[in-house]
Amino acid sequence: MIAKKVLLVGNFGVGKTSLIRRFVLNEFSEDYISTIGVRVSTKVVDLDGEQVKMMIWDVAGTSGDEKIPKSYFLGASAAMYVFDLSREETYNTLDAQLEMVKGLSGLNEVVLVGNKKDLLSEAELATVIEQITLTVDLVTSAKEDDHVEDAFIALAKQAIS
Amino acid sequence: MENNAKKFELLKQLLLADEREDLRRLREEILEYEKFHGKVNPIIDEKIEELRRTFPEEFGGTITETIKVQITESQEDVVEALYPILGKLVKKFIIAEIAKLSDSINQTISSTFSPKQIFRRFMKGESSNAGAVLQEVFEPTIEEVFVIEKDSGLLVGSYSRGNIADKDMVSGMLTAIKSFAEDAFNKEAQDLEDIKFETFQLSMMNYRSVYIATATSGMVNAVYKDALFDQINELAEKILRNRNYLSNEKMLNELIEATLFKEDYVAKRQGR
Repeated sequence: MIAKKVLLVGNFGVGKTSLIRRFVLNEFSEDYISTIGVRVSTKVVDLDGEQVKMMIWDVAGTSGDEKIPKSYFLGASAAMYVFDLSREETYNTLDAQLEMVKGLSGLNEVVLVGNKKDLLSEAELATVIEQITLTVDLVTSAKEDDHVEDAFIALAKQAIS
Repeated sequence: MENNAKKFELLKQLLLADEREDLRRLREEILEYEKFHGKVNPIIDEKIEELRRTFPEEFGGTITETIKVQITESQEDVVEALYPILGKLVKKFIIAEIAKLSDSINQTISSTFSPKQIFRRFMKGESSNAGAVLQEVFEPTIEEVFVIEKDSGLLVGSYSRGNIADKDMVSGMLTAIKSFAEDAFNKEAQDLEDIKFETFQLSMMNYRSVYIATATSGMVNAVYKDALFDQINELAEKILRNRNYLSNEKMLNELIEATLFKEDYVAKRQGR
């Protein structure tokens, strides 16, 4: 079995931990538990018959000023940047945020995911996607279990590529 | 005679009119009270019964709060009241534990100070008798061994006496804690080596691409630690000389057991 370290990065409160809870435990918690530092979870996924053990590092969301240890990003094979579709401040500096993740991890690509789709109407969602200049790989809802698995499968594929 | 009686009756009526009125009112009041009592009593009984049933939920919170306030405000009184009871409990527990410890020490002393052991230790040059006794009573045991890839925190091999549900998660979190501590104190060229918690000591030996974490229970002294580090260095040397170990978990697990738990490993191989 291949084992890979993958990162989940994004602003505070965008739903990274909820995505992991949904993917790893298949549950969604309404209780808000803020992440302190980093939390590591594991999940084995099957990719075209190949078992990949993902060690998911849920790196604490920040508002920009707090310092995250650089070493959290080392040795990662893939990264997912999560933003909240319903909060503009989580996606208005995406370019800089993605460059920061790429710089610290040494990765060339980062999977870009917009979460909390359930909080927007279809028209609002279209407007947000149009507003973002980068390509959003997936839009998800941890609450409604929408495209969560797809997002992690994309992450696993990036990890073994 | 009859006439006299009538006159007397008339006189009584005239003189005691007020008293008779008072007596009538009193009688009415008593009768009224008894009637009222008869009607109200069942209602009161029912209410008392209801209160008895609902008391915990109606007044539980208030009583708890009152007790809390009372305890906070009168800590001295509470301590005074509980002291004798707690004192007895603690005393009983300590006596039982001392008895166990005493048995263990007696057993160790009788084996440690046997002529054979004294001769053996004399030949080895060991001198501290107290240290020897304590070391044997609280004999250190390696509980867990993790060989972890340095940057990614991926577990490459392990040995466990306990039953850790998710070793990968533990090695990841351990790496995160290590990174956090090293980063927080800005000691980039230095590595976190020891974490102590209760009866466990977690030691980490750092190498170029991996680090080896061992969790030890019991009394770890400098002599034991030195011996343990020698064994871990021996393990690391074998791993780093043959990188195949890093990509074959089963092979590495066997190497860990053969290097750090030689007796268990040999016994297992011999089917003992």
